[in-house]
Amino acid sequence: MLIRREKMFYPAGLIVPALVVFTLFTIVPVLMSLFYSFTDWNIMRMENPEFRGLLNYQRLFSDPIFLRSLGNTLLFAFSTTFLKTVIGLMLAIILIKKVPGNGIFRTLFYLPCVLSTTVVGVLYKAILASNGLLNNGLNSIGLSFLTFDWLSTYATAITSTIFIESWMWAGFNMIIFIAGLQAIPSDYYEAAEMEGAGKVNTFFNITIPLLVPAFTVVITLCITGGLRVFDLIYVLTNGGPGFDTQVMNTFAFRAFGQGLLGESSAASIVLAFVVVTISFILNNKLKSSEVEA
Amino acid sequence: MEIMIKRKKNIIPFIILLGISMFYFIPIIMMILGSLKDQTEAIMFNLNLPKNAQWKNYAEVIKRGKILNGYKNSFIITSISTILTIIVGGFAGITISRRNDKLSNGFYYYFIFGLTITLQIASMFSLLKSFNLYGSFISVILIFVAQRMPFTVMTFTSFVKGVPRSLDEAAIVDGCNVFQLYTQILMPILKPIILTNTIVTIISVWNNFNISLFFLNSAKQWTVSLTIYNFYGMFSRDWHLVFTALVLTIIPVVAVYLWLQKYIVSGMTAGAVKG
Repeated sequence: MLIRREKMFYPAGLIVPALVVFTLFTIVPVLMSLFYSFTDWNIMRMENPEFRGLLNYQRLFSDPIFLRSLGNTLLFAFSTTFLKTVIGLMLAIILIKKVPGNGIFRTLFYLPCVLSTTVVGVLYKAILASNGLLNNGLNSIGLSFLTFDWLSTYATAITSTIFIESWMWAGFNMIIFIAGLQAIPSDYYEAAEMEGAGKVNTFFNITIPLLVPAFTVVITLCITGGLRVFDLIYVLTNGGPGFDTQVMNTFAFRAFGQGLLGESSAASIVLAFVVVTISFILNNKLKSSEVEA
Repeated sequence: MEIMIKRKKNIIPFIILLGISMFYFIPIIMMILGSLKDQTEAIMFNLNLPKNAQWKNYAEVIKRGKILNGYKNSFIITSISTILTIIVGGFAGITISRRNDKLSNGFYYYFIFGLTITLQIASMFSLLKSFNLYGSFISVILIFVAQRMPFTVMTFTSFVKGVPRSLDEAAIVDGCNVFQLYTQILMPILKPIILTNTIVTIISVWNNFNISLFFLNSAKQWTVSLTIYNFYGMFSRDWHLVFTALVLTIIPVVAVYLWLQKYIVSGMTAGAVKG
C-alpha cells in the first residue's frame, strides 16, 4: 500500500520530456538515416526520394575514398586509444606518489581537455607548418635534417592528428586511473611485500587486474570518441593532403555538402554500426575480465 | 634524514614530469607570446619575447574579429542548453532511480544506449527543416540537450540511489507535494551532482564546433569556436591576430576550469570509477 502511494510522488510523466527530446534528436535521425540510406535522396529530390536498395552501400564500398576514410577512422581510434591509455596510466602512476608540484602537474596535464578542438587545431597548425615552431626548434638544436612539412604527406599528417588527439586527452585518462589506483586497498600491496613479490610482479598481478574497471571506462570512451572524430581532422588537415586523411564523419559531411543526402546517410549508418559493434564487443570482453576487489 | 631520502626518491619522477610538462607549456607560451608580437615577429614562430608588447592586438581582434558576438552567441546557447539539461535530465534521473520498476529501468537502458549513437548530419538537417527549426538557436540547443541526456540521466540515477528514501518518506508524511519534493527536498541534496553536470555541460557545449558548423547557417549566429575557425581562415597571414584570438577564446573556459577544477575533475570521471 505504502509503495503504491509512494509511486504517486514520482510520476512517470517527469521522464517524458527527457524521453521526447532524446528520442527526437538522437534516435529518430538514426532511423531516418537507415531509411534514406536505401534511397536516392538528394538535395534535388528532398521530398520524394526513390527506393534504390543497397545502391548507396555498393557505391560506398567501391569508393576508394570511403574505404580510406573507414581505414583512417579505425587507425585513428585504435592508435589514439593505445597512446592515451598508456600515457594516462604512466602519468597516473607517477602522480599517485607524493611528487613535489603534484597538484600543478595534474592541473596542467588535464588542461587540454577543457580547450576547444578548434583552438588546439589552429595552435598546432602554427607548430607543424613548414616554417612552424617544431621545424624552427629542430633547426636551432642542429637537427635540420629532420625538418619536414608535417601536414603535407599522408603518413606525417595522420600521425600528427593521432599525437595531438592523444596529447589532448591523456590527462583525462590520467584522472580516471588516479581514482582507480586510489581505490586499491593498500593491504594488497603490504601482503605482496610480505610475500616478497617484486615491483614488476606486483604491478602485473595486483595493480593491472584491479584497474580493469578503470580500463573498461577509459578504453570504451577512447574508442567511441576516436571513431566519432571530426573537429580535429576538419580543422587541422581538412581531410588532406588530397583525400588522404578523410575519416567517416568528414566523409559524411562532404557528401552532405555535395547534396548527396542518401550517400551521406549510408556513411553515417556504417559509422553507427561500427561504433555500436565495437562498444558491444569491448564491453563484453572487458566486463568479463573484471575481478572483485 | 628520512625526509631527505624521500625527497631524493621523488626527484627523478619530478624531473620526468617537468620534461613532460614542456609539451604542455610550449604551445601555451607560444600562443601567449605570439599574441603580443607584431606581424613579422609572430610569423617567425619561435619562443622569443616580443620586442614591444603589442597590446593593441587585443583591441584590434575584438573590433574586427567579432569575437564578442561569438561570446554572446555561445553564452546564450550554453546557458539555455545547460539549464534545460539539468532540469529535464535531472527530473528523469531522479524519477527513474526512485521508481525503480521494470518500465523505468527499461528507460534507463534506453538512455544509456544513446552513448553509442552518432550524429546523423543529413537526417538531422532534414528533421530540423521539417520542424522549421533549421538555422535557429533552438535547434542546436535541442540537439545539445538530447546529446547530454545519457550522461545526465546516468549520473543522476546513480547519485539518487545513495540518498536515503526515509528522507522522501518524512517529507511525504509531512504533506509536501511532488513539486516540493523534487525542488525543495531532493534538489538541495543533489547539489554536487547538479554542479558536476552543469560544469561538464557548459564545457562541452561551449567548446562544441561541429553542431554549430552543421546547423547554424548565418555568420551572425556563429559561436566562439566557429568564429575562431573563420577568423583563422580570413587572417591566416596575420598570426599575431590569430594568436590573440586564440587567447581570447580560451580565457573564459580556462578561468572556469582553474576556479572549479575540483568539480570538473570529479564530474568528468563521475560514474566512471564506480562502474
